[in-house]
Amino acid sequence: MNNNENIIEIKGLKKSYDNGKIKALNGMDLEVKRGEFISIMGPSGSGKSSLLNMIGALDRADEGSIKVAGIDLMKTKKLYEFRSKEIGFVFQMHNLIPNLSVLENVQIPMFETKTSSKDMKKRALELLKAVNLEDKINQKPTRLSGGERQRVAIARALVNHPSIILADEPTGSLDSKTGEVILNLLKDLHSKENVTLVMVTHEPYVGKMAERIVTVLDGKCQNIIQSSQAG
Amino acid sequence: MCIGTIKGCEKKLIMSFLSLVVKNPFRNKTRSALAIVGISIGIIVIVALGMVTGGLENSTQSTLKAGAAEITVIQTGSSSFGSGGSLNESLAASLLNISGVKDTAGILRATNTSTTVATTTSNSSSGGFGAEGGVSVTGIDANKLSLIGVDTINGTAFTNTSTNQVIMGTTIAQSLNKTVGDTIDLYGKNFTITGTYETGNFITDAGIMMPLSTLQNLTNNQNKISDVLVKVTDNANVTTVSQSIENAYPNQLSTTTAADEANRINQGLSFINTASWAISLLAIFIGAVGVINTMIMSVYERTREIGVLKAVGWRDRRILGMILGESIVLTLLAFVIGTIVAVVGVELILTLSPSVGGIIKPSFAYDIFLRAFVVAFLVGVIGGLYPAYRASRLSPTEALRYE
Repeated sequence: MNNNENIIEIKGLKKSYDNGKIKALNGMDLEVKRGEFISIMGPSGSGKSSLLNMIGALDRADEGSIKVAGIDLMKTKKLYEFRSKEIGFVFQMHNLIPNLSVLENVQIPMFETKTSSKDMKKRALELLKAVNLEDKINQKPTRLSGGERQRVAIARALVNHPSIILADEPTGSLDSKTGEVILNLLKDLHSKENVTLVMVTHEPYVGKMAERIVTVLDGKCQNIIQSSQAG
Repeated sequence: MCIGTIKGCEKKLIMSFLSLVVKNPFRNKTRSALAIVGISIGIIVIVALGMVTGGLENSTQSTLKAGAAEITVIQTGSSSFGSGGSLNESLAASLLNISGVKDTAGILRATNTSTTVATTTSNSSSGGFGAEGGVSVTGIDANKLSLIGVDTINGTAFTNTSTNQVIMGTTIAQSLNKTVGDTIDLYGKNFTITGTYETGNFITDAGIMMPLSTLQNLTNNQNKISDVLVKVTDNANVTTVSQSIENAYPNQLSTTTAADEANRINQGLSFINTASWAISLLAIFIGAVGVINTMIMSVYERTREIGVLKAVGWRDRRILGMILGESIVLTLLAFVIGTIVAVVGVELILTLSPSVGGIIKPSFAYDIFLRAFVVAFLVGVIGGLYPAYRASRLSPTEALRYE
């Protein structure tokens, strides 16, 4: 796999809500290389989450073009298949299923992949070991700390070998110390699994951990800087 | 024991879509339990009434059994039961001359309301079988018992010349707590029970039989009979023979065929069946509303979770299948609980009340349970369809934003 190729190509992307009254994306342009770690920053309502939703195929744009992992998301009909194969989501509120064990939560995305039960278990255990939760596999999420829950969510995001991890404020509900552990884990797994990491954040110190910081304002990409220049 | 480490827990770790579907309804135990109770009530009604009406239908069918008389002849205008002797005994022999008649038996039906029996009965644990209307006693020739449906006797039949021997139906024997060798007071006389019988017909099994001449003497009906039982030849048409008898004795004799009798009882049972279905449908409707409510609430509460499942790549069809499956799990569980409660309940009621238990032998025909299963399954599908469709059509972004 060539790490110089663009895994995300967005041109003139527009998305509006409420009959055009709210312009979430207003001509967004963005290119992301395979294996890159970028953070998307900007004030509330600037279009960060909408951009993430478009990349993750959770929503369709009104205009423009968006190609992710070589798939034209304006044209493809099987968005669920794209999400299953190419995308791993990490949400601010982890969103684990409370009545399932840690291990079962991690296995959930594999239901659509025709993986055997044995292989599902093997892959989930491998990732839970990677996030240091091998001793909690049978516990319910309600008995875990916030940091542990987020680690389960990270394992779940990686379970289908996605090309891209989309993390929406992954440290937003954690204290700074736990947040740092989670960020280091994400960064570490991003390198080990050679997965592209796109992270939305409000926190400048979190943003600086990325290779590039993309600032979004009024539904457009305003500024792209290398993290080392962020100062 | 599996404490939570990878080692030793392998069997527990395998997860399937089915296990998820089975687990999910019990996230809100109280709500699911209430939905299950609602459907269970409907299932109890279907199974319990099915068992009871099925048992009565079986009893009706036994009136048509081979060997027994196909036609009952009575005097025009009299009732079939307990009418006393209105026909001459010689009629039974005369009817043999009619074409198609193979055998006949003159019988005398009477009701014993003697104080002794009524007291015995009302003091029995049964709660008074016969205490209100007395005990049905039939006088019949011992070698004609097969015409009334008595093929096998536990013990021996009475002898025609005896004046103190009877045989007793199992229902009344059970009700009066009598067995072979015991005695019973009838018409102020002591009779020995020489045998018990079971025909499957709840009316016959609730009666007592003795020699025709003995009953005639006890009831002052010398040479009189109330009915003639007619068995037709193998090739004869029952309706034609029945008509021939009425034609031979115009305005004197009326005939009833066993098939007519069965049809009349079946009509009554059909009415009970219709009523039980109406009750069942009402109970099922209430239960189905409960299931829909449960599933809609469940989908509302799990909107965000459904958004996550969509985000991780679950297709709409899988989400629809999951919610629909959860609804079916609820109703099938209700089927199991309802069936167990109905079977145990019916058996318990019939055991605690031998007088009723003796009359009704509950049916365990598979179609009763199949019907309940199909109803439960359909309620699960219908109750879960809208919530499942709604869940599958949720927009992932809206679902993930749901608070």
